[in-house]
Amino acid sequence: MKKPIYAITSLFTTPDEAIRAASEVSKAGYTKFDVHTPYPVHGMDGAMQVKISKVGYFAFFFGLTGALTAILLISWVTLSDYPLVIGGKPFWSWPAFVPVSFELTVLFAAVFSTVAMIIFYFKFPNNAHPLHDTPYMKRVSSDTFGITIEANDPQFDENKVKEFLKFLGGKEITTVYFDPEEFDYGQKLIDMRFLGVLAVVALSTATISYFTMNKLLYIEPFNWMMEQHKQKPQQPSNLFKDGIGMRPPVIGTVARGFIPYPFSGKPEEAGKYLINPLLPTKEIVERGKSKFLTFCSPCHGNFGRGDSRLQGQFPNPPTLNSDKVRNWPDGSIYHVITEGQNVMPSYAPQISREDRWAIIQYIRILQRAQNTKESDLK
Amino acid sequence: MSEHRPQMDSLKKPLPPRVTYLGLALFSMGIVLYAIGYYVEPRHAAFNNLINFLFLISIAVGALFLIALEYIAGAVWSVPMRRVNEFLAGLIPFTPLLAIPLFFHLHELFHWAHTDVVAADELLKAKAPYLNSNFFAMRFIATFILLTLFYWLFTRNSLKQDSTKDAKGDIYTRRNIRLSAIFLPVFAITITFIAIDWAMSLEPHWYSTIIGIYYFSGTVLSALAAATYIIIRFHETGRLPGLRRDHFYSLGSLMFAFVNFWAYIAFSQFMLIWYANLPEETFWFIKHWQNGWQAVSILLIIVQFAVPYAVLLPQEAKMDPKRLKFIALWLLAAHWLDLYWFVMPTYNTSLTFGWMELSFPLVTIGLMITVVAWKTKKHNLKPIGDPKLKRGMEFHL
Amino acid sequence: MATEVIDYRKEPSITIQHVTSADIDAAIEAPLNRFPSRRWWIAFGVALALLTTGLCTVALLLFQGIGLLGFNQPVAWAFDVTNFVFWVGIGHAGTLISAILFLMRQRWRNAIARFAEAMTIFAVICAGMFVTIAHLGRVWLAGYLFPYPNQHGLWVNFISPLVWDVFAVSTYFIVSFIFWYLGLLPDFGTLRDRTENKYKKIIYSVLSLGWRFSNRHWSHYERMYLILAGFATPLVLSVHTIVSFDFAVSVNPGWHATIFPPYFVAGAVFSGFAMVQNVLVVVRKMFKFEHIITMNHLENMNKIILLTGSMVGYAYAMEFFMAWYSGSQFERFVFLNRALGPYAWAYWTMVSCNVVFPQLFWLKRFRRNIFIMFIIGILVNVGMWFERYVIIVTTLSRDFLPSSWGHFSPTMYDFGILSLGFGLFFTFVLLFVRFLPSVAMAEMKTVLEGAQPSQH
Repeated sequence: MKKPIYAITSLFTTPDEAIRAASEVSKAGYTKFDVHTPYPVHGMDGAMQVKISKVGYFAFFFGLTGALTAILLISWVTLSDYPLVIGGKPFWSWPAFVPVSFELTVLFAAVFSTVAMIIFYFKFPNNAHPLHDTPYMKRVSSDTFGITIEANDPQFDENKVKEFLKFLGGKEITTVYFDPEEFDYGQKLIDMRFLGVLAVVALSTATISYFTMNKLLYIEPFNWMMEQHKQKPQQPSNLFKDGIGMRPPVIGTVARGFIPYPFSGKPEEAGKYLINPLLPTKEIVERGKSKFLTFCSPCHGNFGRGDSRLQGQFPNPPTLNSDKVRNWPDGSIYHVITEGQNVMPSYAPQISREDRWAIIQYIRILQRAQNTKESDLK
Repeated sequence: MSEHRPQMDSLKKPLPPRVTYLGLALFSMGIVLYAIGYYVEPRHAAFNNLINFLFLISIAVGALFLIALEYIAGAVWSVPMRRVNEFLAGLIPFTPLLAIPLFFHLHELFHWAHTDVVAADELLKAKAPYLNSNFFAMRFIATFILLTLFYWLFTRNSLKQDSTKDAKGDIYTRRNIRLSAIFLPVFAITITFIAIDWAMSLEPHWYSTIIGIYYFSGTVLSALAAATYIIIRFHETGRLPGLRRDHFYSLGSLMFAFVNFWAYIAFSQFMLIWYANLPEETFWFIKHWQNGWQAVSILLIIVQFAVPYAVLLPQEAKMDPKRLKFIALWLLAAHWLDLYWFVMPTYNTSLTFGWMELSFPLVTIGLMITVVAWKTKKHNLKPIGDPKLKRGMEFHL
Repeated sequence: MATEVIDYRKEPSITIQHVTSADIDAAIEAPLNRFPSRRWWIAFGVALALLTTGLCTVALLLFQGIGLLGFNQPVAWAFDVTNFVFWVGIGHAGTLISAILFLMRQRWRNAIARFAEAMTIFAVICAGMFVTIAHLGRVWLAGYLFPYPNQHGLWVNFISPLVWDVFAVSTYFIVSFIFWYLGLLPDFGTLRDRTENKYKKIIYSVLSLGWRFSNRHWSHYERMYLILAGFATPLVLSVHTIVSFDFAVSVNPGWHATIFPPYFVAGAVFSGFAMVQNVLVVVRKMFKFEHIITMNHLENMNKIILLTGSMVGYAYAMEFFMAWYSGSQFERFVFLNRALGPYAWAYWTMVSCNVVFPQLFWLKRFRRNIFIMFIIGILVNVGMWFERYVIIVTTLSRDFLPSSWGHFSPTMYDFGILSLGFGLFFTFVLLFVRFLPSVAMAEMKTVLEGAQPSQH
């Protein structure tokens, strides 16, 4: 079968010859022809009557897209999705958005227009073109200039074209044919090599994914600090001789806001120096009453008489209405509540300092109520 | 083409007398208005005088810079048009005309010129070794002498070259190349100190390390614009024949580049001061954003960046003499606006724009027209002795 | 040859002696086909050793934490950010040569553009290494640097210059890579057609995407190249501007100066050109490209080094003057501290290497002397490294409150990550010259004598 012709090629040695020839070919009315040069030759576009490239419009359009994308994204993020006050600046700080917007403009313009040019204008990648691997291509990619007139040009006639090119000064005029194998190119689905590559890609993707997700992510540092070598509660520790991880606080540790009680073990000083800071107002006394009934009445009874509901299960305390206690300064009572006395334990953990003073005010009321004088009734 | 250049032995084609008359008329009108202005509102007049002084310096010194740039870069396309820049640089000796009235009004212009104000202000006292009237005047005189000297040296070499034949004249090119190398650092220093002294010290509490470069960007832009306008007019009236799209494209793309450069410098200055938000720096911009000045700020961005950018972006626009002429005049107006925006808020924190702003530029424009017209009578319009002239005329993109 | 008289009437020749397209192909393909020389292996060994040291250091940092490095409060940034800024700066020379000199139609750039672009890409990769693996700490969280919808509902802080850095450096890398690759397409085509090796042919065919040298493609290609150059120019200015914003947006004395953007850009070009010049001096000798990468190219690069070095000197003077002019005791102190304080040795190294030594390039005989220019190139790189070090460490170690002052001393791990940068960069460079064409063949052919038709 006769091999289908792609084009007739010819070579020229100087740029002047090539330009003149190209100009003649174009003027003769051929449209499906091309010039091949190892580097761009000035003036060839004009000779071939090729119009100015429109890739610039792509670049402009994509650049604008980039600018808009940047501005819209940043505006949405800073105004709507996650507004944050940063450095006291307004949410929409446009001067700060300029650098990113500029970069995205350039990025979009450059990347997309180049890719568009390569794919749509050049229709690359294409290593199956009939001109590849021809002696013509070898010359033209190095130092010679070439003109090809394609067979699908309406004016094409093999002999006429050969004559014309010879007349123009072309050398090594050759016919280039389509390679029948490549003529019928197109990727078949059931192709051993294709399926093989597909299998390899599938297998390697699966393997890599498996190892990444199931193995790598558990190794440091990819495990995102899931494994932390820190002291956890209730775990042993080999930093301490006794191997215990939970340590008691250091001796002398105090709670926040804690002030040590200055009269510990010194009841006389407590009585001498401590003064009740609270006045016997209604609220204070009510508070004192409530606390007294809660904490003190189980042993001391509801009226401080010592006749509580304990009834012998626990030694009853002496009455609070005795002369001794009535004559005690408030500070002594405070000391007893704070430190305890005899069988009575310290109530400091349960009753706050202010509450102790409130209780003392209430006790004074109880004492007065059970030791009334004539004068009080007036 | 051979070395013989029959039709280029002398390329004098003076501008018609009506141009000189126009220039002189504008200049005289301007002078009268100056006088009236100084009589009626001396402080306001001083500020307008300052704006026009800075404007004139931009164009004159910028033109000299463009000449030096051509020599140092070995540029070829600009050689046929270099004379225009030389004519514009010829304005340098005339700058004292606009400076001298300012020296009589330093008190009205600058806070630091008042010794009592300085004595009461710690910051001004610290700057007093630099910001005092005597040193200020000395700096201006030194700058003026240096710039005039370089102008004279450059143009003397270039003009002498006109009357040489063949390679004998090449020595002038070599000399000017060496001169350019020396001039560039001198230019950098002088233009910086002009900007610091006359523009930045209006607000003596404020400072910006980029001020020299800011003024430089406006300088080159306005010099390019003035040169482009004149070049295209000369081309249209047959005084610079043989210029092609290739030459105009180079002018256009240089203007486009400097529009971007100005915007870049202006934005950098603004953004850094905005971001750090230091009151000792931001007050300057706040002043330019209140009481009507915000309108001028926005106008400046539109006029000196947005519009020229959009107009000059397409490749054909950069090659089109008509559009270039329009944008050249536009950019000159924009540079005036830039200086007005920079300087005026010190005069009045509220927007002031009146007959003085509109009319004082007449002096500068009139002076420019007169000087250029005068020079076209005296000198060749192309540097006919320049060895690169032929390559310049044949220049192709 | 110090006294060649230039003829201004002639277009300067890019190459020495007459070079044809075929010569270009042969000369530039040759190193790719040869087994690398012993000198290459020695250099590669050194680079690999540095790289391994660096990688081991990084591994230690990953497992033991960045506390191994010397920085702490108050000097929270030291070698890490110094190296980051240094390498991003080095990258700028490549784009300047490729894009800006292209826009300025300086045809001599064609011989060095490919190499410079490659160096840009490698330098940016090195810079990225510093920011992601050498100082991040929890490196596996590096993805959070980019804004993507995540389950925390969090976004990056778009107001922070550190985020702007992410966008800037990523964009710079991607766009530079595209620009470089676009330039490589025709060269891969040429190599594909010249190679005898079956495997290399497949690789080059794939990499060339099937480039056919069709002029219809060249017209789009040229337009795209111009547009990319037009984008790359403001991009390269913006990248180092944004890096300078990292410092300038703060309130620290010595950092908050409005001149930082153009100052950093000039400094970047300065150090980048010094590095490119250094590497090219070596490469052209090793591969015998002296007729393609000529003394004129080196001289032009040295002129640019002088120009940008002077710009850096201007910025130093401006900062110093304004610090005095401001009257601020903090600003004034910072500059006195730089010159006389504990880091004065670094400051004076910086000033002498950046401002003093490059002034030798005023003299033509130094601009055209290989040994002198190589030394000055190295000194410039040292000086620029120290410039970033001085800026960062002096301000951080002594800022407003004396009670917060602290000293920084590098640990051996700091030097470990320093060697990571140089090791990675030179490994890449050596691999590049072994496997890829170090000169852009198609671009070079465009500017040879007789390459273009006579009407143009």
